Amino acid sequence: MTKAYISGTGCISPQNSIDGEWFFDTINPAKGDFFDALEPSYKEYIAPNLLRRMGRAIKMGVAAANLAINQAEAKKVDAIITGTGLGCFEDSERFLLAMLDNDEQFLTPTSFIQSTHNTVGSQIALIMKCHDYNFTYVHRGFSFESTLQDAMMLFEEGKDTILVGGIEEHTPNFVILNRRAGKFQNQNTAIPIWKSTTEGIQMSEGASFFVLDKIKTEKSLARVDGIQTLYKPKTSQDILMKLHAFLKLHELSLADVDVTLMGFSGDVVFDEKLKELLPIIEKESTAASFKHLCGEYHTASAFAMWVATKLIEKQKLPKTVAISDKTPSKIKHVLIINQYLGINYSFTLLSQC
Amino acid sequence: MSQRVYITGLGMISAIGNNVPESFLSLSQSRTGIGKINHLTTRYKDEFLAGEIKLSNEALADLVKDSNPALNRNSYIAMLAAKEAVMNSGIDTNDGLRTGVISSTTVAGMSKTELYYKEMFVKDDHLNVLDTHDCGDSTERIADYLGNVDYVTTISTACSSAANAIMLGCRMIKHGQLDRVVVGGVDALSKFTFNGFNTLMILDREWCKPFDENRKGLNLGEGAAFVVIEGENALNLRKGKALAEVVGYANANDAYHQTASSPEGYGATLAIQQALAMSGLKPSQIDYINMHGTGTPNNDLSESMATKAVFGDQVPKFSSTKAFTGHTLAAAASIEAVISVLSLQNNMIFPNLNFTTPIAEMNLIPETKLVNTPLTTILSNSFGFGGNCSSLLFKKAS
Amino acid sequence: MDALIEKLKGQIIEQLNLAEVKPEEINPDSPLFGEGLGLDSIDALELIVLLEKHYGIKIQDPKDGKTIFQSLRTMAEYIKAQGKS
Repeated sequence: MTKAYISGTGCISPQNSIDGEWFFDTINPAKGDFFDALEPSYKEYIAPNLLRRMGRAIKMGVAAANLAINQAEAKKVDAIITGTGLGCFEDSERFLLAMLDNDEQFLTPTSFIQSTHNTVGSQIALIMKCHDYNFTYVHRGFSFESTLQDAMMLFEEGKDTILVGGIEEHTPNFVILNRRAGKFQNQNTAIPIWKSTTEGIQMSEGASFFVLDKIKTEKSLARVDGIQTLYKPKTSQDILMKLHAFLKLHELSLADVDVTLMGFSGDVVFDEKLKELLPIIEKESTAASFKHLCGEYHTASAFAMWVATKLIEKQKLPKTVAISDKTPSKIKHVLIINQYLGINYSFTLLSQC
Repeated sequence: MSQRVYITGLGMISAIGNNVPESFLSLSQSRTGIGKINHLTTRYKDEFLAGEIKLSNEALADLVKDSNPALNRNSYIAMLAAKEAVMNSGIDTNDGLRTGVISSTTVAGMSKTELYYKEMFVKDDHLNVLDTHDCGDSTERIADYLGNVDYVTTISTACSSAANAIMLGCRMIKHGQLDRVVVGGVDALSKFTFNGFNTLMILDREWCKPFDENRKGLNLGEGAAFVVIEGENALNLRKGKALAEVVGYANANDAYHQTASSPEGYGATLAIQQALAMSGLKPSQIDYINMHGTGTPNNDLSESMATKAVFGDQVPKFSSTKAFTGHTLAAAASIEAVISVLSLQNNMIFPNLNFTTPIAEMNLIPETKLVNTPLTTILSNSFGFGGNCSSLLFKKAS
Repeated sequence: MDALIEKLKGQIIEQLNLAEVKPEEINPDSPLFGEGLGLDSIDALELIVLLEKHYGIKIQDPKDGKTIFQSLRTMAEYIKAQGKS
C-alpha cells in the first residue's frame, strides 16, 4: 500500500504554529466565540507585486506552502492539491457587497478573480512555475481529506513529490452572521471542549501545508499511512466498525495507536458520536484534542495533521493537547478522528518513519 | 490494477433542454438556448444575453418533488441531472456496490446568498442561506437524493471543474476505491458571476462566435450535467450497457496568469498531449474535438495554438458547443461530456454556431452545420481561471 | 495637466493597492505596463473602472486601454481630450 512521507510542514493557526520551535507551551484562547489566525508579516514570504492583490486566505495559503517547501528543501513539486471549504471568502464578500451597494456599477475584477476557490493552488503554481497536476477540493469537512486521498493515488501513478494543504478564512461580517444564526458559543475555559454540554462552535481559520514524498528521505518527519472519509455514519458503532476495518487494513489495532487526536468541536450535538467513542479510545489508546487550539473550520483536519507530525517528531504528548492523564511511552502511531457538523467524519493514520 | 471505465448514464439540464432527450433535439436542430435574460435579476438584463434554464425555481422544486426551503437553484438542477444519469444507467445504489458522488461547482449557492446577504444582518428569516452557500452543499443534496452513497467530494477548478470530477471518478475506480461514480458539475447563473465576467470585459453583447475572427467574448449559461461511470467489473456484474469508454484524461497547469491563457496555449497543449498519451491513440486517430471554445479573444486563440501544436496540419473536425448552452462554468465539461457521448451514439457532430470568418493567423475552420459521420474517438477540452487545463478522451463503446 | 497627473498618481496607487509605491516614484512618462510600474492586464481593467468612477469616461473595448494607458501622461491627455478633467 502506498504511503506518503511528510518532509516539510507550514502552519498558520490561532496558535504560534508558524514558529518552528513552538510546542504547545503557550496557548492562545478563543476570542470569545471565535478564533483569528495569528498571521505573520507576509513580506517575508510573498513578493510585494503579488501581495497587493491577495486576500488573507491566499496570503495564509501561499505563506504556509512556502514554509513547507522551504523545510523540505523541495526544488519542485509534481502536483499541487489544495482543500478549502469556503475558498477566498474575503474576496467573494468584497465583490458581493460592492455589487449590492453600487447596484452593479463601478465593479473591479480583482476581487472577483481572486474569489475563485482554486486561487491559492493556482497562485502557488504561478510562483513555482509548476505546470503539473493542480486540483482544488471544496467539500466541507472532506476538503483536506480529499487532497490526501488524491496524493496517495498520484504516488501510485508515478508522482514523487506533492504539495497538499488546507486553507480557510473568515471575515468580520461572516462571523457576525454566523453568530446571529446561533452557530457559536463562548468558550467556557472551565470546561474542556470534549466535555461541553451546550451547542455551538468557535469558528476559526488557518492554513496548513505539507510536502509529501513517495519515498522516505533523511528529511522525512512522519509518514501518512492512510486516510478514509465517512459520509453521514448513522451511529458511533458504525464509525467504530469502520475504524477497526481501517486499522486492520494497516495491520494495526486500536491498542497500537499511541495517540488519537479527536475532532471535538465543543458543540454537544455534533460531538455526540465522538463522545460515545471516547471511553473506548481512552481504554485502548490515549485520547487528545486539537480544536481547542485551532477552533472549528472545514479544513481543521489539516491543522490536526500538523499536530500529529509534531507529536511524532518530538515523541511527546503535551498536557495542553492530551485529553487523558495517560502518558504514552512512545509515539509511533497517531490516529486523527475528525468530524465536521456531525456529518463528515474521517480517519487519518500517521506513523513514525 | 487498471480496469476500464465506461460511461453508462447521462443526465443534463441547461438552456437547451431540461433533460438529455430535449438537449439532443436542440443540438440536432441547431437551436441555441441563449437568449434574452428572464430569470436573473440584473440591471444589465436588456444589454446582454444568457443561456438560462427555462424554468423558475418554483418549477424546478416541483420537478425534484422536494419543498425543502433550504434548497437553491444550484441544488435543484444538480439533483435533477444526477437523478437522470442514474435512471439512464440503470444502476441501483442499494445493491451493495460502492457508489460515489463527485461533483463540482464554482459559485455554489451564490444565486441565493446574493439575494439575502445584506438582509441577514438585520433579519433572521433567511439565515439558513449560510448553510447552503458552500460548494459541498449541492453534492450532499445529490447524495441524499440518490441514497446509499458511500463517498462524496467536490472539486472547484473554475471552468475545468467537471472535467476534473470525471477524471477523479475514473481514477478512484481504477484504484479500486469505488465501483461506480456519479460525476459532473453544476453552476446556476448568479448576479455575482454575471458581474464578475462583466468586469473582465469578456462578455459578448450578442451571440458568442467561438473561433471567429470577430469574436467579442462569451455568453454565460447555467446548467448541470452528470454521467454515471462504472468500472468494467461492476458493469459486467450487472450486465449493464456501456454508452462510451473514458480512454484518456489529463490535468495540467498553464502557470502563466491568474485568468488569461498563455498565448501559445502551453497548459492546454500539455493536457491534450497527456490525454492522448494515456489513451495510446495517435493524434490522427481523433475523429472530432469538442473544444472549450468560449468565444473570448484570448481562449480561442490560445486553444487554436494548442490544437495546432498537437495536431499540426491534420486538425480533426472540431466545434465548440458553447454557442448552444452558453458557458456553464463548472458544468461546462460535463455538459460537453454528455454532448460528446451523444455525438458518438448518433455519429453526429453538432455545429459551431455563429461562425463566419476564421481567425486570421490560424485559419482553423470549425464545423458549422450538423455533420453525420462515423465517430469513434472524441477529445473534449476544458480550461479555467488559475491556468487549470483538462482534457478528456472518449471512445465509442465496443 | 500636472495637477491632473498628480491626482491620477494617488488614484492609481489606491485603486491598484500599490502600497509600496510612493507618488514621487512614478515618472509621468514611464510605461505603466511591463516595465515601469509593472502592471498587467488585470490592472488595465482596474484602470478602466477608475476612469469611469472618477471621470465618468466609459471604455467599451478593453483594447482601447493599450493606447490610453501607455503612461500617466497619455492617460491624463486622454481625460483632457474627453473634456472630463
